Amino acid sequence: MSSQAVVIKKSKLLNEEARLAYILLAPAVIVLVAFMFYPIIYVFLMSFFDTDKLGRLRSFAAFKNYKVLFQTKDFWTITGRSILWTVIGVTTKTLFGLIIALLLNIEYRGRKFARMLFIIPWASAVPISAMLWQWVYNPEFGLLNFTLQATGIWKNPPIWLGQPISAFFACMWVDIWIGIPFMSLVFLAGMQAIPNELYESAYIDGVNSFQKFFYITLPGITELIMIATLLSSLWTFNDFNVIYILTKGGPGGATDILITSVYKNGFEWLKFNIASVMAVVTFLILAIVSIVYAKIYFGRERK
Amino acid sequence: MKWRNRGKPFAIVVTILLLLFILFPFFVMLSTMLKSGQDVYTSPPFWFPKKVMWTNFIKVWTEYDLLGYFNSSLIIAIGATIFNTLLSVPAAYAVSRLRFPGRKTILYMFLVIQMFSPVIVVISLFKIIARIHLLDSYWSLIITDTVFTLAFTTWMMNGYFKSIPIEIEEAALIDGCTRVQTITKIMLPIAVPGLVTTMIYTFIYAWNEFLFALSFIQSKPKMPLTIGLYNFVGRWSTQWQYLTMSAFLALLPVLLLFYVIEKRLVAGLAGGAVKE
Repeated sequence: MSSQAVVIKKSKLLNEEARLAYILLAPAVIVLVAFMFYPIIYVFLMSFFDTDKLGRLRSFAAFKNYKVLFQTKDFWTITGRSILWTVIGVTTKTLFGLIIALLLNIEYRGRKFARMLFIIPWASAVPISAMLWQWVYNPEFGLLNFTLQATGIWKNPPIWLGQPISAFFACMWVDIWIGIPFMSLVFLAGMQAIPNELYESAYIDGVNSFQKFFYITLPGITELIMIATLLSSLWTFNDFNVIYILTKGGPGGATDILITSVYKNGFEWLKFNIASVMAVVTFLILAIVSIVYAKIYFGRERK
Repeated sequence: MKWRNRGKPFAIVVTILLLLFILFPFFVMLSTMLKSGQDVYTSPPFWFPKKVMWTNFIKVWTEYDLLGYFNSSLIIAIGATIFNTLLSVPAAYAVSRLRFPGRKTILYMFLVIQMFSPVIVVISLFKIIARIHLLDSYWSLIITDTVFTLAFTTWMMNGYFKSIPIEIEEAALIDGCTRVQTITKIMLPIAVPGLVTTMIYTFIYAWNEFLFALSFIQSKPKMPLTIGLYNFVGRWSTQWQYLTMSAFLALLPVLLLFYVIEKRLVAGLAGGAVKE
């Protein structure tokens, strides 16, 4: 009898707690539903309809838009390029990040200052950085080509944003440049968490620097590398600002990736149905990667 | 890692070279922002201005509407920060401290939607914003910036609340505080560093936001800095000395703010594996 009373009291308490939780969560959830979930659902809906130039739904088209898009060669080129963009971007960011983290992990005076300087590209506003780079890349008056020529590093530098291949790599580099600091900081923090005794005993055993790196440092931050590269691949894949500001996807579509193509199809060419199909494809790719990230994140929290 | 003395000077030289390489565009910015219009458009270019034009600093405020852009950015960023805090703090408290059915799902949702790209929804958001008659208004950006930072800030605050020992709160509850009182009088004061981090994060996000502003704002007086500067570029002859000067001024506040939150941001993103 008494135990039953306790159970009732407890469940009543739980209810009260749950009610408070729902009240506290309600505003955030309502806003997210209205301005995030509803728009996503609407994009899914739009992808199954014919739309007019104002983006209004005209008639149900079933999978017609998907068929049209999947049959255009451009779509596959752009998808392939998005994957290439992400793979090159994330790999290069990771390599630079590792090198810089290793350099910042050495003790010397001014290390903190160097760390601060390395952060600047991440701390800056992406759109503004992209505009600065546009000026840097200027073929006639820009200081990049001038410096390359003056120092003899590259006698005939390309007109960076004017030709398809160089434009792709020029955009690629700006995206990489923005993403390096995050990688460096995460890896550095990971390296600093590795107990010093490991290095000391390795020193006694006469291990050289390369062995130290491959047998102690790298295994110590493997999990972090996974999380950081996953996050970075989402950001890289999503990088709209750099490409749009530098080239708008040009010249001749040579720098378009899915994310810029969605925007251009919608806001410039007013093909809202095609834009939404692309958005759906992009969404599905991102959702898969996000769920993997969440799984790893929760996995490590439980430990 | 302790390097033997042989390696250290080498590492320092490499660091300096890498820094010169990485900071290159900012050297270009500093060089250009003090040049005259004639110096900017001289080919071949040169690093040091022939005549240092300190007046560029004044001209961006008088000849260009930099003040207007700053003003818009500030209104939008502060607005988004306020709304984000009002929504994320209670939500974070709920998921970190209260037990209720669906807690795991909500937590999972907050983590996953951090990754959603604004581009995916910008088309339908445009229609929604148009339907509620908020196109070309500060509100359109305050709302969208709030929404797109909400998941991350809730997540960060959740981590912060969780790191506060539950005993402190229990003691307050036993002493007769109500839940709301424990939140406002006990939890929030302790969580100030976390609160500052999420607020600065939102502020920076809104200050730097480009896509929504590009899509929703048409009239010049309402343009934030990013769009204002973007409109400088691409005209027939961009006056790069003014653009770089404006870029410098626009970057300064967010750079300083970023240093305040940088360590906690990395820790939050990397999932507790990294110590602050």
